[in-house]
Amino acid sequence: MVMTTPYRSSVQNPRDGFVQLMLAEWTKLRSVPRWSLTMLGGILVTILSGMLLAGGAGSASSGGDGATRGISPQYRDAGNYVHRVLTGDGSIVARVASQKNNDPWAKGGLMLRADAKPGAPYAALMITPGHGVRLQANFVTDIPGSSSQAPRWLKLTRTGISVTGFESADGATWTKIGTVELEGLGDQAEVGVFVASPDALQLQRQFGGEDIVENTNLGEATFDNVKVEPAKPQQLPPWRGDIKPVAPDATSFHLVGAGDIAFYHYATDSTKTMLTGAMFGMMAIVALAVLYVTSEYQQGLIWTTFTASPRRGRVLAARAVVLGGVTFVLGLVAAFGTFLLASPMVRKGNAAPATLSDPQVLRAVVGTAALLAVVAVFSLAIASILRRSAAAITVVLLLLLAPLVAGSALPLAVAKWLERLTPSAGFAIQQTLERYDTAIAPLPGLAVLCAYTAVALGFAIWRIGRQDA
Amino acid sequence: MEATIEVRGLRKSYGPTVAVDGLSFSVQPGQVTGFVGPNGAGKSTTMRVLLGLDTPDEGEALVGGRRYRELRAPLCQVGAMLDAAAFHPGRRARDHLLWMAHSNGLPAKRVDEVLDLVGLTSVARRQVGGFSLGMRQRLGIAGALLGDPPMLIFDEPVNGLDPEGIMWIRNLLRWLAGQGRAVLVSSHLMSELEDSADHLVVIGRGKLIADTSVRELLDRAANGRVAVRTAQRHEAMTVLSIAGATVAATGPDSVTVSGLPVERIVTLLTEGGVSFSGISEHRPSLEEAYMELTQHAVEFHATAGQVRSWS
Amino acid sequence: MRHALHAEWTKLRTLPSNLWLALAIAVFTVAATAASTAAVSTAQCPTPLTCFEDTAKLSLKGVWLGQAIVVVLAVLVMSNEYGTGMIRTTLAAIPRRHTVLLTKAAVIVATVFAAGTLGVLGSLAIGGVIMPINGFNPANGYQPLSLLDGPTFRAAAGSVLYLTLIALLALGISAAVRDTAFSITAVLTLLYVVPVVSTFVKDPEWLDRLRRFSPMTAGLAIQATRDLDRLPIGPWPGLGVLAGYAAAAMLLGGVLFVMRRA
Repeated sequence: MVMTTPYRSSVQNPRDGFVQLMLAEWTKLRSVPRWSLTMLGGILVTILSGMLLAGGAGSASSGGDGATRGISPQYRDAGNYVHRVLTGDGSIVARVASQKNNDPWAKGGLMLRADAKPGAPYAALMITPGHGVRLQANFVTDIPGSSSQAPRWLKLTRTGISVTGFESADGATWTKIGTVELEGLGDQAEVGVFVASPDALQLQRQFGGEDIVENTNLGEATFDNVKVEPAKPQQLPPWRGDIKPVAPDATSFHLVGAGDIAFYHYATDSTKTMLTGAMFGMMAIVALAVLYVTSEYQQGLIWTTFTASPRRGRVLAARAVVLGGVTFVLGLVAAFGTFLLASPMVRKGNAAPATLSDPQVLRAVVGTAALLAVVAVFSLAIASILRRSAAAITVVLLLLLAPLVAGSALPLAVAKWLERLTPSAGFAIQQTLERYDTAIAPLPGLAVLCAYTAVALGFAIWRIGRQDA
Repeated sequence: MEATIEVRGLRKSYGPTVAVDGLSFSVQPGQVTGFVGPNGAGKSTTMRVLLGLDTPDEGEALVGGRRYRELRAPLCQVGAMLDAAAFHPGRRARDHLLWMAHSNGLPAKRVDEVLDLVGLTSVARRQVGGFSLGMRQRLGIAGALLGDPPMLIFDEPVNGLDPEGIMWIRNLLRWLAGQGRAVLVSSHLMSELEDSADHLVVIGRGKLIADTSVRELLDRAANGRVAVRTAQRHEAMTVLSIAGATVAATGPDSVTVSGLPVERIVTLLTEGGVSFSGISEHRPSLEEAYMELTQHAVEFHATAGQVRSWS
Repeated sequence: MRHALHAEWTKLRTLPSNLWLALAIAVFTVAATAASTAAVSTAQCPTPLTCFEDTAKLSLKGVWLGQAIVVVLAVLVMSNEYGTGMIRTTLAAIPRRHTVLLTKAAVIVATVFAAGTLGVLGSLAIGGVIMPINGFNPANGYQPLSLLDGPTFRAAAGSVLYLTLIALLALGISAAVRDTAFSITAVLTLLYVVPVVSTFVKDPEWLDRLRRFSPMTAGLAIQATRDLDRLPIGPWPGLGVLAGYAAAAMLLGGVLFVMRRA
């Protein structure tokens, strides 16, 4: 046996903390040119396909653009409204003498709004052929009254910003329906009677597309005993009709009107449409994330990795953080790039164009980057568990895409459940409008994907330390 | 910390296949320990367990008195090269070493130092995919030396190298051991370790066959044999056999004699009138010594059942 | 050529994972059909008699999932050889590269044809059990499916052809791309992402073009047995579009495979 003084490493203060691991993983990720090209390609494809998609994203349907000028496509604010200005508190009373039953949601009744422009705060008390008396406000509030039909007496009373609705069979005994508060209601408000009716809508969904055809559907109602009662005495200005001139001091009206005043469930989500191009970029990122892991197993490089950093769970965690972070940053570039370049290509319609100052739109754009990052980490976790490229990629792509592909060919209720329960729920983060086919709200949708990712990553970390490398 | 590699009662099986079966040995600092056995003997498995890649079924494998997976900044304590092909082909040589350096917080200048040490500086910025086997071996060794560790583990480092590369690695191993490091080098060919190993651990079918210094092994293998060169081979064999020696013909004009000292052989041949042109003590090659050892092992394995009592 | 064929067949047969994949083609197809038919019932229609459901198409629905496994199998046949370096052994044994690619194609087509037939027959069988329970029965005007019926036979046989064409498409792409991960991603993107993204295309003209020229939607037109005049593309022309993709991929893969060094 040869005895010598034991050798000491000349390296001073080596450290193998999490920061060092992240730096090592970042070096690995950036140093394979093919991977960098894949990432860049992913960004480019996302932006280009977003621009192509934006070109066809303007109009809601093949039946023309029924959107209301200047407001979010989420709402419709049309119909026939005859109104006059009321200063301060007061009431409007009228009897709906008759109403045409052309649609269960045809509307005829009283409306009080901040001004006559589309999208203004409003409260409307109405009779509908299919759903009785309703008090609605600002497109989202909907308070049911009795199920009575015309003829019926209605009354709207304003006190400050509170508006209360009453109904009555005889104009003497009133039943309160509810009170709504209209933020932004000034001293002067428009009060009057209105008729509205949703367009007759035909919807066809099939493999790879949907067709929405809307046809104008005229609503009709007759009002009498129309009276505006101010709280403090004032000279009421003459009635004004939006569609046809009316007698300045009439007390009965026969109105015909088309278009709805309501939440609209069939609007085209132009932001989501252009961001959908990210699905192509996502494919590139899935391939990259899987290769990032499986190539090490295929080449035996994983042994070098684990001898350099024997705490394997931390290696995987560092990898997830680095890949997720890089993808998020690149995703931001892709998403903002898409929005900025593709927005001008959206065909101009009546509806207000989407802007980044709208929190829903901003959430969708930033959320797209987050979606890409979470999908990257999900792919990485699945690849760490399966260790084989082919298996990992197929599993990830099927989990993400199969629910969407299958969904478009299945009954809507089934499709919605598929999109709620599978990882493809994460795509919900790209929504800015609520639609008839919305399966899950944006943040809960992303949370579902995050949950799948957390479980997969947790399992991968738990197992990687227990398995032979 | 003592720079000693130690394996105690190690047992590891993959499914029904027992790869290592009750193996114990230790690797001392300051010398090159050869780890020898035929392909499939369990060398790589032992090394993988030593490096914490695989978990042993029984026993333990310690580096510097601790399990590998408990080490902090392990590259500064143990350097290893397991598989010369374990690189991403699209990554540049320098980047490969750079991520390894980052993972243990080593300064980037170490990367340039080891590249220089293995002579890869000129190709540091080329993708590993275009490297020859020899260049890959050098890059693997550079990775092992990155943390300047006191313990080194190399799996088949000379596999597939040209004679020049083999010479280079031999000198490198001797130099590393000379600095006081513990060096464990596996090989399936004993001849590859000739002139570089000081100590040998020989295994077969997952069991220890010999744990000995090279000098002892050679002395034991020589075992008092004498080589005689003679034109009268037949006569020489007759004379020496009668005197009680064991004689084997090893060529048309040479025999190997055992059981008699050199002086007695000279006397006997002279007296018997057998002319000879040379007589010398037999110096076996390491390969021969190894063959002799493994021959025993093979014979032994043929009679199964006594496995535990041996070694 | 005969020896090369035998060699490729042996390679495919002796790798256990290939057997599992071939089996998975059939199993995934049948399972997805079972799920799809279970999800659709006459209760979702205004009246059972006005459902206008294409029952043959519905009971072949699983093909869209089975094709994913076809892609994996076909890609691996080629890219695995690059991954393991076995391609050099293969080319040493059979130096004529077009022969290598053609024999691989023949072997994979035969395998997918067999597995696809199994999957399609299984789908029709399981659809035949589930659909009548969900209201698609003679009482509501739906006759049981029979392969003796011309359009149904065309849909079933066409589905098997569809799967073999997908296999050729995947093989061609993997010969061109060589890497497993990128090949599978490319083919699955072409098959799945294009239809999903086209859901968001509102321009009717572009939508029509996408439906006619995306390989999956065009190819699966072969499964339609009613309202043929309302399809964006007819059954056989649709399958022809897919065949065009497959031929182009094989040509591209073949040229690159012959020209590049292994």
